Amino acid sequence: MFPQFGATAESLSKASSLVFRIGTDAHLYDDPDDVSIAPLLDSSFDSEKAEALKRLLALIAQGEDVSNFFPQVVKNVATPSSEVKKLVYLYILHYAEKRPNEALLSINCFQKDLSDANPLVRAWALRAMSGIRLHAIGPIALVALSKCAKDPSSYVRKCAANALSKLNDLHQEENASSLEELVSILLNDHSPGVVGAAAAAFNSICPNNLSLVGRIFRRLCETVPDVDEWGQIALINILLRYVIARHGLVEESIMASSHPSENSDSRRELFSIPAPDRGSILVEVEPSEHIMRELMLRHYIEGPEQYSSRQIDAKEDDNGSNNNSYFTSIENNDVKLLLQCTSPLLWSQNSAVVLAAAGVHWVLASQMDMENIVKPILFVLRSSYASRYVVLRNIQIFAKAMPSLFSAYHEDFFVSSSDSYQMKVLKLDILSTIAAESSIPFILQEFQDYIKDPDRRFAVDVVAAIALCVKNLPSVAKTCLEGLLAIVKQESSIKHYGSLEGEAGVLIQAIMSIKTIIKQDPANYEKVIVHLIRSLDNIKEPSARALIIWIVGEYSDVGHIILKIIPVVVSYLGQCFSSEELEAKHQILNTVAKIVLSAQGEEHELFRKVLFYILDLAKVDLNYDIRDRGRMIEKLVTSQPKISHQEGILHVEPDSILLDELLKNMFCGKIQSVTGAINHFRLYLPGSLSQIVLHAAPGYTPLPQPCSLPEMALENRMSQDGIEAANSSDSSYEGSQSSYYDSEGSIPSPVDGENPDSGSESDVADNDHYMLRGANGSPDATAIGQLIHLTDTSIHDGTAKQSTAENNTSSATDLTNLMSKSALESWLNEQPCLPSVNSSADPSRERSSARISINEIEVSVKPKLNVLLEPANGNGLRVGYSFTSEISKISPLLLCVEIVFENLSPEPLKKISLRDEGSTANPEFATQAFGIHDSALEPSKVPTIVPMEEIDSLHPGDMARSILQVHFHHHLLPLKLAIYYNEKRHPVKLQPDIGYFTRPIAMDLNAFTKLENHLRGMFEYSRRCTFADHINIVDQEKGQSSLNDDKILLICRKIAAKMLSSASIHLVSVDMPILLKFDEVSDLCLRFSSEILSNSKPCLITVTAEGKCSEALDISVKVNCEETVFGLNLLNRIVAFLSSNSVS
Amino acid sequence: MLQCIFIISNSGEVILEKQLQGHRADRSLCNWFWEYAMTQGGELSQLLPVIASPTHYLFQIFREGIIFLACTQVEMPPLMGTEFLCRVADIISDYLGGLNEDLIKDNFVIVYELLDEMVDNGYPLITEPNILREMISPPNIVSKMLSVVTGRSSNVSTTLPVATQSCAPWRKTDIKNSGNEVYVNLVEEIDAIVRSDGNLVKCEIYGEIQVDSNLSGYPDLTLSFANPTILNDVRFHPCIRFRPWELYQLLSFVPPNGQFKLMSYRVKKLKSIPIYVKPQLISSSGSCRMTVLVGTRNDPGKPIDSITIEFHLPSCVTSADFTSNHGTVNILADKRCSWSIGRIPKDKAPSLTGNLVLESGLSSLHVCPVLQAKFKIMGVALSGLQIDRLDVKNMPTQPYKGFRALTRAGEYEVRS
Repeated sequence: MFPQFGATAESLSKASSLVFRIGTDAHLYDDPDDVSIAPLLDSSFDSEKAEALKRLLALIAQGEDVSNFFPQVVKNVATPSSEVKKLVYLYILHYAEKRPNEALLSINCFQKDLSDANPLVRAWALRAMSGIRLHAIGPIALVALSKCAKDPSSYVRKCAANALSKLNDLHQEENASSLEELVSILLNDHSPGVVGAAAAAFNSICPNNLSLVGRIFRRLCETVPDVDEWGQIALINILLRYVIARHGLVEESIMASSHPSENSDSRRELFSIPAPDRGSILVEVEPSEHIMRELMLRHYIEGPEQYSSRQIDAKEDDNGSNNNSYFTSIENNDVKLLLQCTSPLLWSQNSAVVLAAAGVHWVLASQMDMENIVKPILFVLRSSYASRYVVLRNIQIFAKAMPSLFSAYHEDFFVSSSDSYQMKVLKLDILSTIAAESSIPFILQEFQDYIKDPDRRFAVDVVAAIALCVKNLPSVAKTCLEGLLAIVKQESSIKHYGSLEGEAGVLIQAIMSIKTIIKQDPANYEKVIVHLIRSLDNIKEPSARALIIWIVGEYSDVGHIILKIIPVVVSYLGQCFSSEELEAKHQILNTVAKIVLSAQGEEHELFRKVLFYILDLAKVDLNYDIRDRGRMIEKLVTSQPKISHQEGILHVEPDSILLDELLKNMFCGKIQSVTGAINHFRLYLPGSLSQIVLHAAPGYTPLPQPCSLPEMALENRMSQDGIEAANSSDSSYEGSQSSYYDSEGSIPSPVDGENPDSGSESDVADNDHYMLRGANGSPDATAIGQLIHLTDTSIHDGTAKQSTAENNTSSATDLTNLMSKSALESWLNEQPCLPSVNSSADPSRERSSARISINEIEVSVKPKLNVLLEPANGNGLRVGYSFTSEISKISPLLLCVEIVFENLSPEPLKKISLRDEGSTANPEFATQAFGIHDSALEPSKVPTIVPMEEIDSLHPGDMARSILQVHFHHHLLPLKLAIYYNEKRHPVKLQPDIGYFTRPIAMDLNAFTKLENHLRGMFEYSRRCTFADHINIVDQEKGQSSLNDDKILLICRKIAAKMLSSASIHLVSVDMPILLKFDEVSDLCLRFSSEILSNSKPCLITVTAEGKCSEALDISVKVNCEETVFGLNLLNRIVAFLSSNSVS
Repeated sequence: MLQCIFIISNSGEVILEKQLQGHRADRSLCNWFWEYAMTQGGELSQLLPVIASPTHYLFQIFREGIIFLACTQVEMPPLMGTEFLCRVADIISDYLGGLNEDLIKDNFVIVYELLDEMVDNGYPLITEPNILREMISPPNIVSKMLSVVTGRSSNVSTTLPVATQSCAPWRKTDIKNSGNEVYVNLVEEIDAIVRSDGNLVKCEIYGEIQVDSNLSGYPDLTLSFANPTILNDVRFHPCIRFRPWELYQLLSFVPPNGQFKLMSYRVKKLKSIPIYVKPQLISSSGSCRMTVLVGTRNDPGKPIDSITIEFHLPSCVTSADFTSNHGTVNILADKRCSWSIGRIPKDKAPSLTGNLVLESGLSSLHVCPVLQAKFKIMGVALSGLQIDRLDVKNMPTQPYKGFRALTRAGEYEVRS
């Protein structure tokens, strides 16, 4: 009647839902492509762009591939609207991996945004840029990262820390060290939020470089409470690993409790005195717990590959770990501090933090203090459903290793009906593990309720758990057996199971549990067996019947009552054989055969009769297996009685003795308890994913080897006990710095004391120093001294030589094989990047290289001689010039050019002089000009020279040298000069060489890398070229020496010589690969430093060579210089002379 | 670290995906997950939170019909994954005013933006709701209307919240509130297990102190209890300072603005329960008579509201009919019975009687349903925890302080 009302109502409800959805993005999600997106993206209105991007996002959400819009979207990255920008970034990050090349288009915008005044924009740009997975982007991103790592906004720094691991994922080995350096900088950050993120980055980038933590351990501990919750998890994990690596395990801890050491007895006494109530726990460690703890000790420390290798040679003695130095005491300051700073975390709101903190305490805390973690982790059980399961899985392990810890809290594991099946089972397992004399009555009462659980799977588990409880606490066996028998009785009353799957399972499990309990003391439980036999009539379930029949056979000779009822039972079995199911038939055959074999006296005949009756039935059974078994038993049994009964026949066939034994073993062999299952069981660190999924997840790292960081002993004590060392990082840095000078007095590293960041770098050096010192005494110096450093010592003063001399004695012996002695002048103990002491670290990730010093190089440095005047043009006068790196006495801005005059003509030449043609050649003016060289008012920008003295006469064949001092003003145009001699004028051109517009400055590697880090980005230029100079020499050398190292050394010297002879620079260091592949150069890296003559700005040159020794090498030259034009010119010049083939 | 987050509806539809790392996780993972969930009985709320799939490790939580699924391929603390997903669910639910498929679809842009701020490279970045609210404004009526009228909207803030920089990231320094008030609510849940004979197996209270603070400036609050010793376990909001608690059991903190959970606690081994539920099952030849009596025990002093008794009939029960002298009884399709009583009348004790018909072949009921009771008592904290005083420092004028208490049933179970 009112159809229109219905329609109205419908439209009304539609309208109301429309109103409700108005203003949301609902329509975009529902029909993302109802309009054409492309024109919207090109729109000039931000709102339209935003809509288009939202539509794209909706398509992404729905799983469509809209990467074809990439170019259009990328274009919009330059938008000023923050919403559009955010949406574009969302889009780009989604497809960055798919279309990295297009993503490159946006790099410029990112870089612009990176210098935006708004920290949010900077952070977004950094996140987007580092998210692009393209190898080429690595260096650029690294530059941006190092910039952002020093950003004033802690939010940006935090994002930088997160970005570190993104870059690390790109697997750029060349950046590994700079990444580590950045991690170290960020770990030192004063903002706790950044430290947390840096800790996560540390875990993914250099998890084994724990020495990085050592210096700031105390400060990190103090920051822990202020770090955000996610950072706390990562940070305390690092701190734990550091403490283990540095100090070893705590001998009072649960990990060490399985460890048999000489003073264990005294330790226990020590314990039982302050805590007599708990002392008993420590003394009476159950064997199963003991095994568990031992496993824990092993599994927590050894990685998966160690584990599997140990599986192969199963019986390996672990004497290696029986080393007392493996352990430290709970009194250790670091251990104490870590425990102290992590204990408030046990109150955290975040379950993950609680569990992580509990994990630290589990490994480190003494057994007596373990109580502290119990209540917090039990409280986590009341939080979210997801964390309950994970925490229970961890508690399960804790409880197995130390049941006493949880026994008082059994109530917390009582099953609630809302728990999932897995959780119920876990709780059940924990309950049966922690059951103690005091709690078992309550637990058993609970179990009685659980058996009534509607989930019958769970009921089966409960019945099984009862048997487990009896195993742990034999005193409750009686009660349990009664309960189990009641279950059997009750279950057997169910006539028909119908849809009740699992019901049979309860019954079977009940009988199994009874069997397990009986096994422990069969004679005592005779009545139980009788009880079971009597219930046979009621039990219909074939498996249950089979089980009971088996029990009859197994314990037929136990006690008195059974013996009496056996004949009845056997007849009963004979009667029902034909109606039994397959399973039961098998057991009847076995059981009766067993009884016949063991029976004595008058019943024997009866048994035999029944047996043969059954065998006859079996022979015609439908099932072939029964038929076969029947025949087999018949054969066996018929051969047996000859021995036992026909006494008249004295001779006993040896065959039948054998047979008899065989039969006894087959049917009457007592069961041996199967143990050892625990050995196939693998433990992982508490709170780890691997512990939940029960295999080592990729990236799972066990605890480090205890005490694998011993070399830092001295350094550590300093940071611990030093004067207010812990209070401020500055002072600790000063303290260690001064000691560095005192003890060594070697190359002073230019450290800017005011810069807080510089502390870390100098500390690195400091650290290395100790590591090397530690190695002095030990024979395996190679393990630690993987980097060998030689430098151009001629520039350093004597002290350096002195220090090198002492070090020589320690490490040189091992390495003489690697390098020829002639080439090695000295060893320096500088190691700029820490070699990881952990030898298990991936060797390919470590750049093993040597740094050599080439003292002789001075000899081979021959500055190139250019010709100013050919003898043909100059009537026999040859004038050559070469640039020198000498510093002018008049002004540091002047270049010294050595001019060589040679008279090749037969007659003497007179009054030779060289004058400037371009300028007015007024000597007075020139000197005056250079006298005020530092004045910016200097008007003349044309090259000027300081006039040289006139040479009076030059005899035939003679040579004269003089120094011409020129100020080029960075002009690269040839300088016009005129040579006057014999009153004649010859115009000449002096080609300036940009390579000499610099002045060498001595610096060590630390200073170099530091400076280099400041001059990244647009101040860095590189080019590639080839270098072929060495080929001839290498070929020559072949005959003389077969050593590869020498070849490399030769190449290295060659390059160095060429560089030094073509430019006025200082050789800072040479990195040489130690792990040599035959005839191949890789990672050969030479570093040079200089500063620009005119403005003293530093200019750094890095030359990296790769390729085969016998072929032209691939060289990449990198120049870091603030003066862009100069730097580029210099780079071109270097490339030019390196690739030019010198004819020497 | 987390590789990808999927939000899946309870019908298996992937509502959205957010890739977190360069390595993308394929959507086919969700298909695998769904098939796995179906093989596990299809009860989504009972799925394991950590699942190892052939290619990834999955973390999942189920909230109000929505599955939050995250995956990783490397070792990471599993609780970190699930706990983070819980935060995501909390915050999205807080933003959208609830969680359901349509709400997420309607506001998918906000969800994307939130996820992007919350996690960076698979690692949690900002999970503090106050900061997030400043960065991305939640959808509200005003902004909705504004966007309809003006045709443009931007919920992305252009400035970085100051709080990201401070060492108290939960509070920005320059809050100005018109109101000057702070409310402290004690919300307690009573967990109990009662055996069929009426004996108490365990009874404990899980409580939360929820604070709603509308204070300007940078207030410093101190909350003290009259009887802090009854607290067995505690967990704190990050704003609480540890030292005063360790030394004097005082809660000293600078509160976030708005509502937040200050602490949660547990009081164990309580001896009394507010209501009794007495189930009785008498089986006789293929049928079973069930009676349930409910009444007040140990009167808490305040009325007990919205009492509901729920239980699941065992699978061996083929049919059942119930009558009650008070309230209504419903039997749902999955054999779940719910008896809503409301308030207990003064004149009679509510009782439920019913006949259960058992499956043929079963003479008596051998499995017993567990009854769950739900109720609410306003104005009482059953644990007996008492707030002594709340001091507010750093404030020009003393704010209005309000205290409330509420107890409701948590896992309140009676076995029959």
